Amino acid sequence: MNHLALPTVSYAALAPILFLLLGGVALMVLSALSRRPLAAGTVTGYSVLIGFGALISALAEYGHVNGAGPSSTVASAIAVDGFSAAIAVTVSVVVILASLLSHGYLRRMQIDAPAYHVLALTSASGAIIMAAANDLVVLFLGLEILSIALYVLAALNRRSAKSEEAALKYFILGGFSSAIFLFGIAFTYGATGSTNLQVITRTLGEGVAAKPGLLLAGLGLLLVGFFFKVAAVPFHLWTPDVYEGAPTPVTGFMAAAAKVGGFAALLRVLLTAMPQLSTNWTPVVYSVAVATLIGGAVLMVVQRDAKRMLAYSSINHAGFLLVGIVAATSAGISADLFYLFTYSVTALATFGIVTMLAGPRDDDAGIDRLSGLARRHPAIGAAMAILLLAQAGVPFTTGFIAKFSVIEAVVGHGSIPLAIIAMASAAVAVFAYLRLVATLYRTEDIATVDLGYDDSLTDGPAAFAIGLSVVVTIFFGIFPAALLDFGRTAVAHLLP
Amino acid sequence: MHTFPYLVVLLCIPLFGAGLVGLVGLRAPQAARVLALAATALELVFAVALLVAFKTHVGTFQFESTHTWMAPLGISFSLGVDGISLFLVLLTALIVPIVILGTSVGEKATGYLAWLLLLQGASVASFVSLDLMLFFFAFELTLVPSYFLIVKYGHERRAYAATKFFVMTFLGSAFLLVGILVLAFQHQNQTGVLTFSLAALQHTTLSSGLAVWLSLAFLVAFGVKAPIFPLHTWSPTTYREAPEGGSMVLSAILAKLGTYGILRFNLTLFPHASKTLAPLVLTLAAIGVLYGAITASGQHDMKRLIAYSSLAQVGFIILGTFSFSPQGLTGAVTMMVNHGIITAAFFMLIGWIAQRRGSFDTAVLKGLQGPVPVLAGVFTVTMLASIGLPGLNGFVGEFLVLIGTFTTHRWWAVVATTGVVVAAMYLLWNYQQVFHGKADAETETMHDLTTKERLTIAPLLALIVLLGVYPKFMLDRIEPSVHRELAGITAAAPATAIQTHHVTFTSPVGGAR
Amino acid sequence: MTSLLATVAIPDLLVFLLGALLCLVGAVSILTVKNPVHAALSLVMTLFGIAVLFIELQADFLAAVQIIVYAGAIVVLFLFVIMFLGVDREEDLAVEPIVGQRPLAAVLITALMASIVALGLVGHFEVGPATQTGMLHGGAGNVADLGRSVFTTYLFAFEATAGLLIIAVVGAVVLARRNNPDDHVAESQVEELA
Repeated sequence: MNHLALPTVSYAALAPILFLLLGGVALMVLSALSRRPLAAGTVTGYSVLIGFGALISALAEYGHVNGAGPSSTVASAIAVDGFSAAIAVTVSVVVILASLLSHGYLRRMQIDAPAYHVLALTSASGAIIMAAANDLVVLFLGLEILSIALYVLAALNRRSAKSEEAALKYFILGGFSSAIFLFGIAFTYGATGSTNLQVITRTLGEGVAAKPGLLLAGLGLLLVGFFFKVAAVPFHLWTPDVYEGAPTPVTGFMAAAAKVGGFAALLRVLLTAMPQLSTNWTPVVYSVAVATLIGGAVLMVVQRDAKRMLAYSSINHAGFLLVGIVAATSAGISADLFYLFTYSVTALATFGIVTMLAGPRDDDAGIDRLSGLARRHPAIGAAMAILLLAQAGVPFTTGFIAKFSVIEAVVGHGSIPLAIIAMASAAVAVFAYLRLVATLYRTEDIATVDLGYDDSLTDGPAAFAIGLSVVVTIFFGIFPAALLDFGRTAVAHLLP
Repeated sequence: MHTFPYLVVLLCIPLFGAGLVGLVGLRAPQAARVLALAATALELVFAVALLVAFKTHVGTFQFESTHTWMAPLGISFSLGVDGISLFLVLLTALIVPIVILGTSVGEKATGYLAWLLLLQGASVASFVSLDLMLFFFAFELTLVPSYFLIVKYGHERRAYAATKFFVMTFLGSAFLLVGILVLAFQHQNQTGVLTFSLAALQHTTLSSGLAVWLSLAFLVAFGVKAPIFPLHTWSPTTYREAPEGGSMVLSAILAKLGTYGILRFNLTLFPHASKTLAPLVLTLAAIGVLYGAITASGQHDMKRLIAYSSLAQVGFIILGTFSFSPQGLTGAVTMMVNHGIITAAFFMLIGWIAQRRGSFDTAVLKGLQGPVPVLAGVFTVTMLASIGLPGLNGFVGEFLVLIGTFTTHRWWAVVATTGVVVAAMYLLWNYQQVFHGKADAETETMHDLTTKERLTIAPLLALIVLLGVYPKFMLDRIEPSVHRELAGITAAAPATAIQTHHVTFTSPVGGAR
Repeated sequence: MTSLLATVAIPDLLVFLLGALLCLVGAVSILTVKNPVHAALSLVMTLFGIAVLFIELQADFLAAVQIIVYAGAIVVLFLFVIMFLGVDREEDLAVEPIVGQRPLAAVLITALMASIVALGLVGHFEVGPATQTGMLHGGAGNVADLGRSVFTTYLFAFEATAGLLIIAVVGAVVLARRNNPDDHVAESQVEELA
């Protein structure tokens, strides 16, 4: 046997992943070695620093790709392109905000802070791996890293039976969907002879698949796995229960990170590995998008629990992101990138405020708890109102630009009925958001209710993160050009 | 740009005012009220200054200013005003301070004031934007404050009314957004430039089928807002359940966004398609006039009565717009303004009556003339203006619309004229019910308008008379723009010939002329 | 494209069928037997069947690993846990939370299996059976080949697996530590507060 040629590794390109994964592992080792439990503040600070490290390295990678063009590394397993860099930026921001938002909560609920942060950091690295994966096997591993950490995170609230239930439900259904996804990878491998995305697209380009039954079965199973992960109707049934039961900051993190990872991978697989099959997958994505848009919006209206409502809201947002995939153009991808970034920020901060209102057990997020919030705490109430309006897509917030650019992309692609359905679903969803905002500003009989959350409203780091998110939401809502350009440049440097 | 940026200032005052009122109101609700009044007064001053600086006899857009904004999406910040939008801006600037002065929603009014200011800013922005997306932004933005005004400060069934209003208008906007996007992409395919500028999109070549579809998409959105029969179903409920100030703003200003949108965008962007659709729209408008008038006669609730009467009035505006005659269009614009003034006065007076007597029901209200003679007098003038009595402002628009429609679409004008008669009937009948007869004990104790109320309604009353006696002031400024608009419609000669033929063909009535 | 079955030699086919039968019978009996110990043993049967299939594909090393790790270590752990918790605990499967779900599941699974078989018969395989693609490096050096691909083509996947396992361990520890006495104190305190 001759000498083994190890593949070249571009550590700079892997830096965001390494920061988060090794940062998580290092924190685990530190907390295990230290004599006394690490202070919550130290751990949060550490986590934020790791997030910043990942952010800076992701931006550096973005800059590098802009100059040198897209490439791949580690034997073509990881794509080094603008798209993965942009997703890494998004995930790093999610990590920073989520760390700040969870700080006070972990202390109040007496949850082991290092455990939370180790799992959150590694989970985030999974999301980046998914986005950068240039190989279905790597993608699957990223998915599992993301998911397994999330299953455990969902169970962290020991004070609520719902938390355990949510974790178990998420675990069983997630495991099931992972199996389906793996089955899809196997079929795709059987049909194309490779798990590498470039090889797959090359094989498909040569038109080898004369009888593509196996290939289509693989595609179908992959799609089911993805749809489960991004909570698209009809694979969404776990979402409301898990969102409701999981500790609220975890719900926020889940809503942001899992969605970013899932959509990034879905975009890459469909648009770079299987563009030749677009006649096959477009109708599927189209109908799922319609179901997701309508289902999310309509079910959102009837919810009486803020977390469940936001769960359906995230389903509705998933529908919009699917609309961007139907467009299947670079405008569609960059619209989705913008959407993912802005939605992550908004959703995290929204759940951050719900966290503040969580009460001593975090097992009740009924809409009544929000009643009159803005009367008692004008600043928090106003922040919540702005974030909800942004999710609703009101002009001069990022939500509007996100929805608008997705719809612009899909109209440019020619799917006008889908654009109309998307807008109609937005109409229904907006109504639900506005009703919630009106609840915030209720004046009737709020003085008589004691919800016991007043002490949690003075949570400094969380307030800072929420304030920052509100500023981002409004600033990029009024001046979105820079962020849009960022997304466009990223897509221009997408590994073909 | 060396001229004073009136339009930017007109946008900024209410928007910043809203934020400031919201902030100040947290600590000092009384100061918020003063601040809101100051902001709207300042707005009115600048609006009047704009009127003074506006060059009469110029048809093109004035005070145009364009800035790059959201360049990657093709959206620009482009403003301008012409004779058509000028008076609508003035109307907006006038109505909101009057609403603040003349209505109240109790102690905690900060939200009410802030939402009103936001609504004013968004409405002004809609009237002066020359970029379709900027218009859409502003058009959508009006929904949020309207929703909150209704749902927080309205009457018993406010939640239902707000929902119905919101869902219907938003669904309409869905069509508008998609229509705008399709148009912009058509333009991009032809020129390679992605833009939403009205001036650029105007020259997009569209196949007649596509143009009709796009025109319909726009019509649905604006038709809901206006409202045009049969898209009006939200309006009686909403006008009834909204607080009086909300009804005033909704009917006087927001409804005009719909009619203005049709005039500005449908006619400019899809001239041929508009002509193709004219028989349909004219028929709907005529039905609206009759249906509104007849239904109004059956109402026991004064607010619902005015709501249906508004439907009839909007029918006239649409009729004038789709007559494609200079008189018709001028009449439509005049009527938008006059109807805004009259309907605002109506809702305010009804609000004052309800404040004193606790009811909008004509079965309860009887013999008001004795206890409240001044209120009855003001109501009479307003009512006569609404009927279209010569010498008052309602007459000018209605008359021009009917003349204009008569010259081009005779039979629709004839049908609509019967609406005028019915309107006179039900308004007088209503007046008789409410103000004549014998007052009951509770009514006897009603007190008449206070000095503050008299001063509040005075500007509206003055305008009702002044614009009726000397309409030339408005017409001089409106007409050049209307002529420019019509010239644009008839510009594309060959297509026009085909379209004219088409109209003649599809409408035997028009052909008989 | 010739049918897949036509290209397979009879002995190969027989071994494959045997392996497949072992897998399926094992899998079905996991679901049907009442006793958890029997279910665990049925799992061994399935895993053994997979090992047979690996041998049929000349992946000798994987077959050995399959038996040692899965059939050996993991099932033993399963059995240990089952014994630890008590064998007699039987799940009551008579309750059907959603009416008609079992017949529906049977129908759907039959349809799924049928479609998979149909796909196998008519689908196009880029990587077919061994007889079609040739043996892996002449049938020798299984371990070396595996090692080579783990350190070249699948280097990142290999390393990512390491990360995945760490997280799984952390997760297991976090969940297992949940019931320490301090927490109970904290919880009761909260209950008093609430």
